[in-house]
Amino acid sequence: MAKGHAEHADHAHGHGHEHDHTPPFFVRWFWSTNHKDIGTLYLIFAIFAGLFGGALSGLMRAELAEPGVTVLTMFVDKSLAGQAQLDAARNFFNVLITYHGLIMIFFLVMPALIGGFGNWFVPIMIGAPDMAFPRMNNISFWLYVAAGGLATLSLFAAGAPGQHGFAGGWVLYPPLSSLTGHPGPAMDLLILSLHLAGASSILGAINFITTIFNMRAPGMTLHKMPLFVWSVLVTAFLLVLSLPVLAGGITMLLTDRNFGTSFFNPEGGGDPILFQHLFWFFGHPEVYILILPAFGVISHIVATFSKKPIFGYLGMAYAMVAIGFVGFIVWAHHMYTVGLSLNMKAYFVAATMVIAVPTGIKIFSWIATMWGGSIEFKTPMLWAIGFIFLFTVGGVTGVVLANAGIDHYLHDTYYVVAHFHYTMSLGAVWGIFAAWYYWFPKMFGKMYREWLGNLHFFLMFIGVNLVFFPQHFLGLQGMPRRYIDYPEAFAYWNYISSIGYVIMLVGLVSFAVCMFDAFFIYRRKAPANPWGEGATTLEWTLPSPPPFHQFNELPRFDKGDAKAFH
Amino acid sequence: MKRILAGVTAAGAALGFGAAMAQHPVDGGIEMIEAISPVAAEVHFFHNIVLLPVIIGISLLVLALLVWVMVRYSAKANPVPRKFSHNTLVEIIWTGVPILILVYIALFSFDLLFKEDTIPDGKQVVAQADGSTSAFVFANDFPDSRKVSRPEQVQVFLASGAGEKRLSYRSDYKLSGLGKPEVTVTLNTAPASGERVIIRGGRSLVGVAPFFGAGEDNREIALAPTMTLKVIGFQWGWTYTYPDFGDFEFTASPLEKEQTTPEQYLFETDNHVVVPVGETIRVTTTARDVIHSWAMPNFAIKIDAVPGRINETWFKAEREGTYYGQCSEICGIKHAYMPITIDVVSRPAFEAWVDSQRAMAGLEPMFGQSNVKFAQASVETE
Repeated sequence: MAKGHAEHADHAHGHGHEHDHTPPFFVRWFWSTNHKDIGTLYLIFAIFAGLFGGALSGLMRAELAEPGVTVLTMFVDKSLAGQAQLDAARNFFNVLITYHGLIMIFFLVMPALIGGFGNWFVPIMIGAPDMAFPRMNNISFWLYVAAGGLATLSLFAAGAPGQHGFAGGWVLYPPLSSLTGHPGPAMDLLILSLHLAGASSILGAINFITTIFNMRAPGMTLHKMPLFVWSVLVTAFLLVLSLPVLAGGITMLLTDRNFGTSFFNPEGGGDPILFQHLFWFFGHPEVYILILPAFGVISHIVATFSKKPIFGYLGMAYAMVAIGFVGFIVWAHHMYTVGLSLNMKAYFVAATMVIAVPTGIKIFSWIATMWGGSIEFKTPMLWAIGFIFLFTVGGVTGVVLANAGIDHYLHDTYYVVAHFHYTMSLGAVWGIFAAWYYWFPKMFGKMYREWLGNLHFFLMFIGVNLVFFPQHFLGLQGMPRRYIDYPEAFAYWNYISSIGYVIMLVGLVSFAVCMFDAFFIYRRKAPANPWGEGATTLEWTLPSPPPFHQFNELPRFDKGDAKAFH
Repeated sequence: MKRILAGVTAAGAALGFGAAMAQHPVDGGIEMIEAISPVAAEVHFFHNIVLLPVIIGISLLVLALLVWVMVRYSAKANPVPRKFSHNTLVEIIWTGVPILILVYIALFSFDLLFKEDTIPDGKQVVAQADGSTSAFVFANDFPDSRKVSRPEQVQVFLASGAGEKRLSYRSDYKLSGLGKPEVTVTLNTAPASGERVIIRGGRSLVGVAPFFGAGEDNREIALAPTMTLKVIGFQWGWTYTYPDFGDFEFTASPLEKEQTTPEQYLFETDNHVVVPVGETIRVTTTARDVIHSWAMPNFAIKIDAVPGRINETWFKAEREGTYYGQCSEICGIKHAYMPITIDVVSRPAFEAWVDSQRAMAGLEPMFGQSNVKFAQASVETE
């Protein structure tokens, strides 16, 4: 393989200049149909959304550092006094938790991993010149921007009586999200925002499925496809199958709110629990939508820096398929306390625990990939190793919560907050950083200083663990989540948690410094393959950054040394 | 700094063996708060004895493997990578062993879940011994699926002036008619006249069982509920109704900061729920506006209050005291300000409290001087 593609790389080098006529600025970035440019746009969008969502969590941790409502009163209407000011602050806290969740899920992780890295590297990895539907790719991105705009608008619209923004949690449960709890238009704007984000993701998913099924290089069978492509393929199917259910659910909510229907309204014969079923039928696959692409990224990084093919390739690919499939039949484990029948709970306990098996296969296969390897601890590898351990911690607490018998104690406590941040924040976001450091040289043609990347990793590692590990203790002690104020007995670990946030913030600053340095001070040009013999997928055969149009002549896997990339 | 030290001390105490579990959350605490009901004790057992070793073990195993490969297979220690990518045996092991671990967890998990979600229907029969009779009949009039059919589903106690003594199967008594409409308990020696034979039967066996033969058998047969507590959530507080005692009703709101101590602020309410100790209490929840959730960690229960639906759970508090819970489903601006306070009191204190509440509602006393005990599960027989 290596030989054939080395030639190809030369080819791309040799002809790069004559093909690399990029369109003028406006056409290139606003009417873009180029998968790499759209990927970059998604990444920029995700960075801004991530900063915003992270700032929201900063306000939350500041408020929760000590008991009492002390910080958020500074952020509400100054003309309010006494009780009204306190209520505005309490509403603002609920707005923070709501938008933090929605923004991190819909506007950070999904655009970064799927829209950003997926767009950038899926076509390249399968040897395709671009996505199957480049213009649809464009509309997918701009719908996302519109969705972000509507979500931002809803922050400032009337929500609960006398308050601004939707403050009912990212799960949007009625009747808190219906006219009973939030008569103002904030919720309607949020529903429309989610509709657009959902439509965008569905279009993107269709694009990925079509691209992956039809545009692989000659000879690249599904079983020779890199694992990141597998992960995006499974994710795309999850998106196509789950998002319409969310769309249905929130449309019903919209008509309940505006046209007098009673899907979720008990006075009219409806049932609020129906919404929860619809929401979690989407919501649970959604968490795998967030984590699967990160799984794909980690597989590449571990193999690259161990200089060894991924262990158990087929097991790894089908573990993701299995996780995706089982992910659709476990949704009600989010609803153990709503009053489900005993038999239903028993089923969901059993089904949920099954997910531990394919997840375990992935964890152990990554370790087996490293086993016998020759590991270089470059920055992306540090993030990948950190991911494996932290995701394990988040995974085992998931097994605890899967048991309805214990969930009756831990449901909606900080234990749950700790669990899903270990899988999502220290999992999916970890995957984003790993991918960023891994592909940064490829995307931007520049190297970063290793020690700055390392510093970022270690600060973040210490910081986020300090934020989230103590929250297990708070949960075991019984502290409910989504609380602006808490009894003295929960003060200590909340304080530690807030200190952790500050350390994490310093880590983010070092990330900004690292990037500024890479672009403006260090300015070291990246070679086509900065990672050496372990980096075997097609993107490393192209120059860094890749030409505006790649693979004018398709790479072939159907003759000669047709080896899979794993 | 002082606070950090205090927290570290508390965490150390919590980690230390034999340290008493806190009845209420403690600053810096790291474990579940004390179990006051047999089901909560089982939840603790399931978490601390069954799950914790497994999840800590797996996390440490993964950590150890990672450290090992990082040391042994670093580029310095192992410059030439090997190229293997398959090993069927280890793949079978790491698929099979987790399945076995999950089956092990599930054994305990389902058992616990079924106990939590089945309202107890245990029944108690008290017979006066006359000195010669040694056989006593327990009417096994449960539905077929709940009939007493195994020896551990019957517990026999001998009560005298000196107190109550649990008898053991075979060495003290024999059973016949298990699974049939009448179960006969035959004591090996006829109890003395004046002693009372208490027979409890039913499938609602709760409490921590021996773990692979080790530890005490703390299982008891939970009796059918003696009362129902109706809980109605609203923005922002709880209304409680006692339908078995004349439907009197009161609302519990949190105490303001100035009205209580810093430790109890956001736990303490103006009106407390009062329940009798040692009795099975049925809880039903619903809500007036949005969804709330009624939680009581000491009893390991949490049940959503959903408008348009009635949910049901139960608990049996084993020790008198005051216990705290907090609303556990986001319900708007004052979600953090709708705590739950329960006083578990003795039966006489409970009856006195009921009568005082009835008086406030303009009802006649229900207990007063009379000895009539309403809603008692015990059935007196000759």
